Amino acid sequence: MNRFVCFCLASLAIALAVPGCTNNSPSRTAETSGENSKAPAGSRKIRVALLPKIKGISYFSSCYKGAEEAANELGIELIYDGPTDGDPRKQAEMIEQWTIDGVDVICVAPNAPDVVAGAMKEARAAGIAVITWDADGTNESRSFFVNQASAQSIGEGLVNAMLKDLGPATEGDVVIISADATSANQNAWIETMKPALARSKLKLATIKYPGENASNALADGRDVISKYPDLKGIFGISTVSFPGAAEAVEQSGKSGQVLVTGLSTPNDMKKFVHTGTVRSVVLWNTVDLGYLTIHVAKALATREIKDGTTTIKAGRLGEKSIVGDNVMLGDIMVFTKDNIDQFDF
Amino acid sequence: MPDTGGGRSYAWWHETVIAVLLVIVLQFAGWLVPGFLKLQSQLLLSRQLWEFAILALGMTLIIITGGIDLSVGSTMGLSAVVFGGVHSSSGSLMAASLACLATGLCCGAVNGALVSRLRLHPLIVTLATFAAYRGIAEGWSQGHSYSRFGDAFSDLARGSWLGVPLPGAIFVLMATGFAVFLSKTPYGRFLYAIGHNERAAKFSGISVNRIRFWLYTTSGLLAGLASLIYVARFDTAQADVGKGFELDVITAVVLGGTSIYGGRGTIPGTMLGLLLIHETRLLVSRYWGSDELRSIVIGCLLIVAVLACQLVSRKRRS
Repeated sequence: MNRFVCFCLASLAIALAVPGCTNNSPSRTAETSGENSKAPAGSRKIRVALLPKIKGISYFSSCYKGAEEAANELGIELIYDGPTDGDPRKQAEMIEQWTIDGVDVICVAPNAPDVVAGAMKEARAAGIAVITWDADGTNESRSFFVNQASAQSIGEGLVNAMLKDLGPATEGDVVIISADATSANQNAWIETMKPALARSKLKLATIKYPGENASNALADGRDVISKYPDLKGIFGISTVSFPGAAEAVEQSGKSGQVLVTGLSTPNDMKKFVHTGTVRSVVLWNTVDLGYLTIHVAKALATREIKDGTTTIKAGRLGEKSIVGDNVMLGDIMVFTKDNIDQFDF
Repeated sequence: MPDTGGGRSYAWWHETVIAVLLVIVLQFAGWLVPGFLKLQSQLLLSRQLWEFAILALGMTLIIITGGIDLSVGSTMGLSAVVFGGVHSSSGSLMAASLACLATGLCCGAVNGALVSRLRLHPLIVTLATFAAYRGIAEGWSQGHSYSRFGDAFSDLARGSWLGVPLPGAIFVLMATGFAVFLSKTPYGRFLYAIGHNERAAKFSGISVNRIRFWLYTTSGLLAGLASLIYVARFDTAQADVGKGFELDVITAVVLGGTSIYGGRGTIPGTMLGLLLIHETRLLVSRYWGSDELRSIVIGCLLIVAVLACQLVSRKRRS
C-alpha cells in the first residue's frame, strides 16, 4: 500500500511539474498552439467562439457559412462547435471550456436559457464578452442579442402565410408543432400567433412539443392528423418539426387537404414545396444572421459598441440598428414555389 | 478470474498500470494543449467529474460483492424530478433537497429489498428499475423542466471553499470514509468475502442479505446526492438527468481495477479510473473540440487499459 501511494504521488508530481516547465519554452508553444499563441496584444487575432443549438443541421450550417465569411473579412479566428444532440448541458460545458481557454467573445444560441445561464455569467465574470444569437438567453447572462426578426413579425408572418394559402375565409382546426416546451424563441412566436389566429376563423386545437427530434416530430404529426378530423393546417415552427409535420401529412395521404407552414431552411423544404404539401416557408436570411453575429462579436471585442449604442456597421449588410440590447437583422423572408430554388442553404 | 490477493498481500499491479496510463495521458495532454495542466483550469473543469465520482463509490462496493447497479442514472432522474416538484410546490430548497435524497434512498432500498429478500439477480433487478424509475420520472414530470433555484443553490456545484470545489470536498470526505470502511473494518472485508465466494461467506456467519440490502440503499442515496449536485450545476431539474451515467460509472470502476466478477477492487483504484476517463475526455474535447469523438476514445482506452493489465498480470504469474 505504501509503495503504491508513494508511486502515485510521485507520478502525479512529475505529471504536473514537467509540462509546467516546458509550457514556457517558446519553441513548443509556437509549434503546438499555432495561431492560438498569445502574441503581443495588438497583433493578436481576436478569437470568437460560435455555439449553435445543434451542430450539423442545415440551418446552423448555413449560419456558419455567413460567420466564416465575416471571420475571413475581419481576420478573426472562429471556433465553431456545438452538441450534436442539442443537449443544453453540453452547451454549458463547452462555454466553461472556452472560458478557460480565454477566447475573446462567446456567441451562444441557447437551447435552454436557464441551463447555460450559470456558465455564461461565469464567462462574463472572467472578462469574456458574451452575446446570444438566434435565441435569447436570460438578461444578465449576455450583453447583446443578435435578433434575426422580431417575434411579432415571425408569429404574424406565419399566420398570414397560412391564411393566404388556405384562403382567408377558411374555417377549421390548426395545430402548432413546436420544439421543446422550454424553447424561448418558439414560445415567443406562439404568444404572437395566438392573437393573430384569434382574429381569423381558424381554431388552435393543440400545441405539441416533440423536442429537436425528427422522429418525435413525425409521430406528433401523425397523431394530430388522426386525432383532429377537421384539421386544415399544421404550423411546424422549428427546423426539425416542420419537415417532420410535412412528412407526416404526405405519409397519411393528406397532401393538399392539410396544409403545412412553418420555419425551416429552403433546402430542407424544397421537395415538399414541389409536391404541394407546403406552399410557404417562412424564415430569415440565415447566412446574414451568422455574418452579423461575427460583426457584433468583433465590435464588442474592439469596444466599438457598448451599452447605449444605437447602430452598428456590419460589412456588406450596411448599418444595422440596435434596439435596447437587441441587434436587429431585419424582417422575415417567405419562400414559395416561385423563388425557393434560387436559395441554397 | 479474480485475483486472489486479498488483505495484506493485495497486489497493486492493476492500479499501477492505470496510474502510469494516467501520467502518460496527462503528459500528452500538457504537450498538446497549452495550459491543460494548470491547477486552476483543472479545478474548474473537475465539475464534470464529481457526480460520476460520487456514484462510483457506491458502485465499487457493489461490484466488489459481485453485484451491479444499473439503476443509478434513472434514480438520479427520479430524484431530480422530485426535487423540482417539491421545490415548485413548497418553495423551500431545504425540503426539496431532503426529498431528493430521500427519493434516492427509497429507490436504492427497493433495489436492495428485491435483491436480498426475493433473491433476484442484481442485473435483472436493476435493469428493471433502470426502466421503471426513468418511466416514473418522465410520467410524473410530463416533460416539464423545473429551473431557477437561485444562485445560493447553484453554489453547491459551482462554489468553492479555499479554492477546492464544494462537490469535490464532499467527494474527498466520502471517499476517505469509504476507503477506510473497505480496507480497515470487518464489514468492509466481508464485502470481499461475499464477492469471492458468497456461499462460503454465508456459512462463516456473514449476514450476506443484510449487507446486500444496505449496499444498494447506499448506492441509491449517493445517486440522490449526485442528482442534487447535477441539478445545482445546471440549475435545471428534469426527467432526463443522469441518462447514460450508469455505463460511464461502471466503466470507471472496472477501469480502476475492480473485478466485474467480484472479490477485488479498491477505492483508490476507482479514483484513478475516474481520473483517467475524466482527463482523457477533457483532452479530446479541448484538443479536437469534438463532442462525438469522446465516446470512441473512451472505448478504445478501456480496451487498451484492460489489455495492458492482462499483460502485466500474465508476466507476474509466469
